[in-house]
Parts: sequence; structure tokens; C-alpha cells
Amino acid sequence: MTTSQTLRRPGPSSPGQAPAARPAVRARRTRLPVALTAAGFAVAAVLMLPLVFLLIEARGAGAAAVTDLIFRRLTADLLWNTVRLTVVVTALCAVIGTAAAWCVERTNLPGRRVWAVLVVVPLAIPDFVVSFGWASLWTWVQGFRGAVVVMTLAVYPLVYLPVAASLRAADPGQEEVARSLGVGRVRTFVRVTLAQARGAILGGCLLVALVLLAEYGAFEILGYQTFTTEIFTEFSVSFSVPAACALSLVLVALSLLVLAGEGMLRGGGRVSRSGPLAPRQMPPQRLGRATLPVLAGFGLLTALALGVPVGASIYWMAERSSHAILGVSLASAALHTAGYAASAGALATLAALPIALLAIRYTGRVRYFLERSTYLVLAMPGVVIAFALAYFSERYGSGLLYQSAPLLVICYSIMFFPLALVGVKASLARAPVSLDEMARSLGQRRLAVLWRVTLRLAGPGLVAAFCLVFLSVVTELTATLLLIPTGVQTLATQFWAYEQNLAYGQAAPFALVMIAVAALPSYVLGRFFDRSAHPDG
Amino acid sequence: MTQLVVSGLHKAFGDHPVLTGVDLEVPAGSLTAILGPSGSGKTTLLRVLAGFERADAGTVTIGGAVVDGPGVHLPPERRRIGYVPQEGSLFPHLTVAANIGFGLPARQRRGPATSRLLDAVGLAGLGQRYPHQLSGGQQQRVALARALAIEPKIVLLDEPFASLDAHLRASVRADVQALLAKTGITGVLVTHDQDEALSTADRVAVLRDGRIAQCDAPQDLYDRPADADIARFIGDANLLEGVLDAGTVDTILGRLPVEPGCLASPGSSRANGRVTVLIRPEQVELRPGGGADELTGHVVSYGYHGHDAVVHVRPEHDGGAPVIVVRTVGGGQLPPGAAVTLRARGPVLAWPHT
Repeated sequence: MTTSQTLRRPGPSSPGQAPAARPAVRARRTRLPVALTAAGFAVAAVLMLPLVFLLIEARGAGAAAVTDLIFRRLTADLLWNTVRLTVVVTALCAVIGTAAAWCVERTNLPGRRVWAVLVVVPLAIPDFVVSFGWASLWTWVQGFRGAVVVMTLAVYPLVYLPVAASLRAADPGQEEVARSLGVGRVRTFVRVTLAQARGAILGGCLLVALVLLAEYGAFEILGYQTFTTEIFTEFSVSFSVPAACALSLVLVALSLLVLAGEGMLRGGGRVSRSGPLAPRQMPPQRLGRATLPVLAGFGLLTALALGVPVGASIYWMAERSSHAILGVSLASAALHTAGYAASAGALATLAALPIALLAIRYTGRVRYFLERSTYLVLAMPGVVIAFALAYFSERYGSGLLYQSAPLLVICYSIMFFPLALVGVKASLARAPVSLDEMARSLGQRRLAVLWRVTLRLAGPGLVAAFCLVFLSVVTELTATLLLIPTGVQTLATQFWAYEQNLAYGQAAPFALVMIAVAALPSYVLGRFFDRSAHPDG
Repeated sequence: MTQLVVSGLHKAFGDHPVLTGVDLEVPAGSLTAILGPSGSGKTTLLRVLAGFERADAGTVTIGGAVVDGPGVHLPPERRRIGYVPQEGSLFPHLTVAANIGFGLPARQRRGPATSRLLDAVGLAGLGQRYPHQLSGGQQQRVALARALAIEPKIVLLDEPFASLDAHLRASVRADVQALLAKTGITGVLVTHDQDEALSTADRVAVLRDGRIAQCDAPQDLYDRPADADIARFIGDANLLEGVLDAGTVDTILGRLPVEPGCLASPGSSRANGRVTVLIRPEQVELRPGGGADELTGHVVSYGYHGHDAVVHVRPEHDGGAPVIVVRTVGGGQLPPGAAVTLRARGPVLAWPHT
């Protein structure tokens, strides 16, 4: 008797054995809802606008002119500056970030939990404030040397965070197995631990590289010429749009290269745990005699990364002569900053919702490409987005939106959309479809399900996404300088104005307010995302 | 007490057909198990019954009313069906009591109904805990209580005991059985574990190729499987060649009477001819030592299970014969290679060759 699907009896059920992993795809649909898909396409289209504008402008200036502007001596210099800085700083950050993460997560370093916080706080300090702190105190901090020091201290947490998370979640079983197979301690570290953390290290390095490519304020203070400083100058000082456009194209190409490189280096291997998900912690490595040097190292890192910028700001604030006007301008700048940040946070979170819903709850090629296309925004530094939007609104939009609050908010939303998307996706991950279905089977109508289940579970994450964008806007300088309505100041632009005039005493309070506004919520957010990634922790 | 009738159910995902004409009748107040290997479409069937998926063709009738059919699809929130998924799917942001009362009208959520159900599943006093503070078995019981709270017409259970360890499984299984029997709610249980299906349910339906191959009481399914494939699936089976001759069949284990009325295909002259014979391990007798005119063989492996032993024997036969599985109670340990004699008992099932 032949049967096309012979019944095979599975082996005797072992204790706690779950049947073959149920594919998560089962809960997804391939038919996308029309409204949601339309919204997703609309969002993706807006995100593409700056790139489209850039290309239109390049075509308008003429291919020959643009090519000439690209292939000239200045570009080579800028390229050299940008690339060598990126390589050096990325390497340094990778080493510092990984070493710090390993010491905090895997050893018995005294005061680990305190160091874990102190090591991350520098991320909340805007890079241009770090630069200001160093450059205002010591004159040798300038040029390439200064840029390396400042940027390394400013962005190493971008490597520390993912590596620490990866080490915390790593499966100790893999290292134990390696040791049982006869691989020594050091080689186990290299071949297993580092290999497991490779994805995190590369991801962190990618973020560092993208930040370096997009940085403007810090380099301007240090007198270090990169693509961003040049684009800024060409557009807002020389009003030479074709030149700015040409440089922007090169910068975007560089960013795309970095994105592609990271993708290739990451490789196909998956870092996953097999077996029960409750993380069994590794016994911490004893430092012994190395404890004091390591502690000293952490102390030095904190002093340099945190102490110098904050200390310099406090120092200059104490130095200044009192200015009554300062209070008013501080309050007004803070108000404007808060207004823009809140609007951008809301807009970005709202815009991320359809894309995130499609990404998590549905499957299929359309939604895949839709989601991937939004990552292109990562390849566009803020200055390029702002420049593209500013120029286009001035030239083709008959100046309607140029230097207006709505355009600035839209620019922020585009720039920080990837951040919002990460946050919204994390929040939706806490509200799986299976729970919605469960609620429906218990007799709840769709609206009741949304209110009682989905929003309750996803709510905190949506707020976190909003906060992420809010904080990023508070510390944003480059795009703001290009697009801010005349007569209005944000905390960052007011700081910049004073700093450029060497009025350090007046600039310092703004720096401190920005740090204060960014630091505390950053800590809370960090704990939120950490907990959502590892709910047992 | 509600009856469930499924008729000609078809469901495909894209080009991939999963259910190809399922016919099933679940009598009111009974517990029916749907048995099939992983990937056979059991969960899909359950999801169609619950209303999360819509059938491509066929009808689902609950208590006489068509809920899924041509032009009809009652949404899940209107079906009053209790659904207990494999992972439990408790709401993480609600306490145990709030989970159980979720489907009740707001007024009744804090009432006595919730605490009554907590007692019924043996979790009295744990109402204020959160799901992550409970063990796997406790979570499953809360999921069951939650499904029962809405006083459903039918309860659907998707491999509810799979994630429990063996010791817990038996007791939770017994609790579920007792609870359903007491409340008289019709139940459909989906599983890949045939021990579970045979011991828990009133009727067992075997799902194969997207269809129900056989639906019978456990005893009937075991004693009279519809074909050799099902025989192999349910319990151990020795499938031997035999020659049929007027009510008895000649096999290497001797001439045995055939179960009356078991032969299919009445049309062809299969009254005599080559057949496949099913002999269950417990029907074979084993004696150490060699016998004169009986089938002898030597032991390949001896598996001791405490309450019985399963012995694999390679018979000595000129024409070549498959390894025979024998279940013995008592007797001593037989080392591999020991010589034994085999004899079979009782009426056997036979199917014609196809």
C-alpha cells in the first residue's frame, strides 16, 4: 500500500521536549493590508526625497560640471582626511569598547555596575560639546590629533553597548564545550567569545563610522576638514550649490560603502543559542593583580570622556561675567528645542508604525524591500539631508517651507527615522499577534483588543522610541544650523553661536543643559532596551 | 453540550495545500484527539475551527450553526470557542486572576467566577501572581482556566502538554480530562503523541495527507487500523507477508485466523491471495530454546522497561524475514544471540497487497 505521506511515529517523548519548532511564519500573512502598505510606501517615499533631490540637482548642474567638482584635489584631501580618521577612530573604539565591555561583563571588577553606567554616559554628551571642552582647555587639541582624541572619547560607547549586551546574553555552553575540546583559555576567547561578539562589534563599528562621516560641529571647532565641513561651507557660506552637491554624492557613496562592508563582514553565520533560553551566567573571570591597573584604566577613561567636557563647561561657566540676558535666551532656546524635539519625536514614531507593523507581522518580498529601503537613510548624513531639503524648498518649492519649523521637523524625522524604527519594532515585538488572536478568541472585538492588549504591551516601547528621537534632536546641530527659521535658536545653535565667538562663558550653560537633558533619559532608555532584549535579566 | 461537524474542509497556504478534504464529527460532550505527525496540518485545522483562518472550501458547523462555509465566516470573537495554544499565550501584563477573567464582562471580572476557576485548576491563592512567576505547568492550567471562564461551547487544545515534563504531564492530563468531563464541554485535542491520544480521548482521529484517515475509539483504532500505515503509526506493528486461504492466513508464525470482516476491496477475488498481515507484539509468544516445527530465531536486542520487555528477534527463515518485535511480561533477560522460539496467537488483521 503506498501513501504519499507515510505516518512516521516520532520517538518516545522525552521530558520537556517540544515538537519541531513551530515556524513563526505561521502567524504572518502574505497578503498585505492595503491601507498599511500604502502608508508604508508613503513614508518610504518621503525618506527617499533627499536622495532624489540630490540626484535631480546633480543632473541640473550637469554631469560634466559635477564630475569636475568631484575629481579635484580638494576631494582627494577630504577623502584622505575622512578615511584615515574613520579607520583610526573606529579601530580605537573597537578596542576600547570591547575591552571595557569584557571587563564589566565578564570579570569580577569592583564596582562593575557603577562603571557600566559611567562608561555609557558620555554618549549623551553631544560631540561638539566634547570637542569644545577639549579645545577650550588645551591648544594642542586640533587637527587630526585632536579629532582622534575627541571622537574616540565621544563615540566609543557605540561599540561598548552592543558588545556588552552580546557578552551578557552569550551562551556559556559554547565556551565550556570549546575548553572541553582542548582549546586553551586565550584561544577560546578569540575563537569563541570574540566570534560570538563579532556581529555586535561590527555593528558598533558601523555606527561609529556613520557618526564620523556625519559629524560637523566637532570638526569645525578643531579645524579638521572633512566632507561635512566642506559641504556646510559650500552651501551656507559660498552658496555654491553644485560643489555642495558633488561633495554630498561622494559622502553618500562612502556611507553606502561602509554599510555594504559591514553587511559583508558580518557574514551568514547566526549567533544564536540552542537550548533553554534562561541564561546561565558565566562565572566571572578573576582579575587578581590586574584589578588595580584595570580600575585605573576605567578611572582614566571616565575622567577623559566624562570629566573633561563636563568639567570644562563648569569651569567656563564659573569664569564668565554674569549676563542677565542669558537666562532669557536659555529659557527661550530650551523651549524651542523642546518643541521641535517633541514634534519630531511624534512624527518619526508615527511614521515608523506602518513600516514596523509590516516588518514584524507580515512577510513577503514587498514588505522586505519596503523595510530595506528605509535603511538607505542611514547613508545620508544630516548635513546632506538638510542641504537637499533646504535647496529644494528654496528653488522649487518657491521658498514656501524654506527655513520654516515644519521643514526642520520633517528633516529631523527623516534623519532619526531609523532610530524610531528600531524602537517601534522593539515595542511591537512585545505585542505578538498570538496575543491579539487569543484576546479575540476570548470574545473581544478588534478595538477592545487594540486597547486592552496591543497598546498596553507596545505602549512603553512607543514612548521609548519617541524619547530616542527627542534626545537626538536636542543634541543635533548640523541640520539645525541649515534649516532653522531666522531669529529662532535652539540650545545647540545658541551654544554654537557663542562658541564660535569664543564666548565660552556664555556657551557653557547651554552645554550643561544639553548634557543634563540627554543624560538621565538616556540611562532610562538604555535599561529599557536592555530589558526588552533580555527579559529574564 | 455542542456537537462539532467538519465537512470537506480545504485549506492551502499559497500553493501549498495543507488540508485536503477533512471530514470530522465530534460528538457533543466528548473529547476527541487529532493525531498526526508534525507538519500534518493539525494546528491549521485548529486555527480554522477557532476562526483565525478561513477555510478555502468546506464547512464547519458548531451546534448546528454553520460558522465557516460558502459566504459565511463567523469571526473568532463571536464563536465562543475556548482556545488553549501550545505556548499558553498568557497576557504578560496581567495577573493570573486578570488573565482568567479577561473574557468576562467587566462587572464579573473580579467576581467569584475567577476564584472558582482557580480552585478548579488547582491554583488557589496564586491569583495575584504574574505569568512569568509561574512554572510551565501552572501557566498551562491558567490558560485552560481562562478558556473555560467564558463558558465556551467547545474547547480546542493545541498540544497542551508538550512543554511539560513527563511526570507533570500525566497529572495535568488527568486534571484536564476530569475538568472537561465534569463541565461537559466538547473538547478537541491536537497532538503528535499517540500515547497521549490513546489514553486521554474518547475518540482518536488520525490526520494524514490533509485528511482524516481513520476516526475511532482508541481501542478500535489499535485493534482494527484501517491500513498498514496506520497500524505502524499506532503502536508497534509486525507486518508480515501471508497467503490468505478461506478465513485463515499462512505466515511464518504459523496459520492464524483472520479477523472477520476486515478485508477491504470486495470487488476483486481477494478471498484467497497474498496479503499483508498485522501481528501486534503482544500477540507473539516467546520461549527460550529451539523448537521442532515452530519458527525459531535469535535475539537481536532486549529492551527492558520494567513493566514489560520488548525483544527484537531475527527469525530463521529461508525466504528471509523481517525482525519481529515481541512484547513479553516477566521471564528472564535474554542476551543477544540467544535462541528462541516464536508463536503467534489470536485473530489477526490482513490487507490485500496493492
